[in-house]
Amino acid sequence: MDLVVNVIQLVLGAAALPALIRVGRGPTLVDRIVALDLILLLLAGGIAAEGARRGSELFVPVIVVVTLVAFVGTVVVARFVEWRDT
Amino acid sequence: MTEIAGAIGIVLMVAGTVLSALAAWGVLDFPSPLSRMHAATKSASLGLGLIAFGAGLAAASPALAGIGALVAVFLFMTAPVSGHMLGRAAYLAGQAGQLLHDDLAGVAPDPGSSATAAEKKVSLRRPAVLVVVWVILWRDLAVGTVLGGLAIALFVESVLRVTRPSPRLSITGLVAFYVRYLGMIVVSNVRVAWEVITPRNDRIREAVVAVPLATKSESVALLVANAVSFTPGSLTVDMTSDPFVLYVHVLHFSTTDEVRHAVAELEGLATRAIPERAPA
Repeated sequence: MDLVVNVIQLVLGAAALPALIRVGRGPTLVDRIVALDLILLLLAGGIAAEGARRGSELFVPVIVVVTLVAFVGTVVVARFVEWRDT
Repeated sequence: MTEIAGAIGIVLMVAGTVLSALAAWGVLDFPSPLSRMHAATKSASLGLGLIAFGAGLAAASPALAGIGALVAVFLFMTAPVSGHMLGRAAYLAGQAGQLLHDDLAGVAPDPGSSATAAEKKVSLRRPAVLVVVWVILWRDLAVGTVLGGLAIALFVESVLRVTRPSPRLSITGLVAFYVRYLGMIVVSNVRVAWEVITPRNDRIREAVVAVPLATKSESVALLVANAVSFTPGSLTVDMTSDPFVLYVHVLHFSTTDEVRHAVAELEGLATRAIPERAPA
């Protein structure tokens, strides 16, 4: 169990790297926010895996909050992109 | 029994991790902003749902598994919304990339509609659902928790503008819809994952296709639009009402008819899940 969780968290952490490169590269704001949204989801996945390792439910609100922030952030930026030029 | 559940949980977690990692690679690898969205949010949402649910099973914690399922449901509702908004914004900003076929060009953006005063109707079912979610999140069935949830749910119900009468739901229709839909999700996730793994993206042929819907029901149109958006490879970019027309961005375009067929099948299932109200 410990090993599996370690591997999962390692893979999720490594997966944040290509997304991070995309955040830097852009070229559009939409690309960046998609990549950032993805990084938050990866983070939430890592936290959920940690919950499995410790058999603890303490991480549950954290997961809910992180996904909520990802959603609200994405929607706000989408609105911003849409209205910026009009 | 718990060992079997634990093993299943670990398998789900690993599957979710693989899906998330592929999504991240797709975000780097795919050629245009809209195609990157196909890879990213949807696969990663499903991945996170699998990890959270699997974590609950692996930890033999019903509460964690329940929250995992709740998170998955929540993502199923939010991912299409943010995907739709971002896709629409990207398209309107002229960042859609190379399209082989574009039905949306020249169509004026639909301002949308909101409920008129006559349509507003207080429902008791919506607050009830909110209270249930609230209690699950607190994992506590104390009187105070329920009362607190009830107060917030009633406040939301009285303030929110989303106050149209709730549609009638057919349980068997919904089950049939989601079983068939789950199959489609798996197939399209594998398809996009394969696109990510193979080094050349030569099968990506992007297009925006207009898909007229037969239904008059807003709920059915919404369910179909969301379902289309949550499937990797297709994304609802825009929608006009009266009559409902979906503008679907697809990753693997061959013919417009193929896209319309797929959406029509979903619409048929959705219509059975949310049957039309008999005119009062």
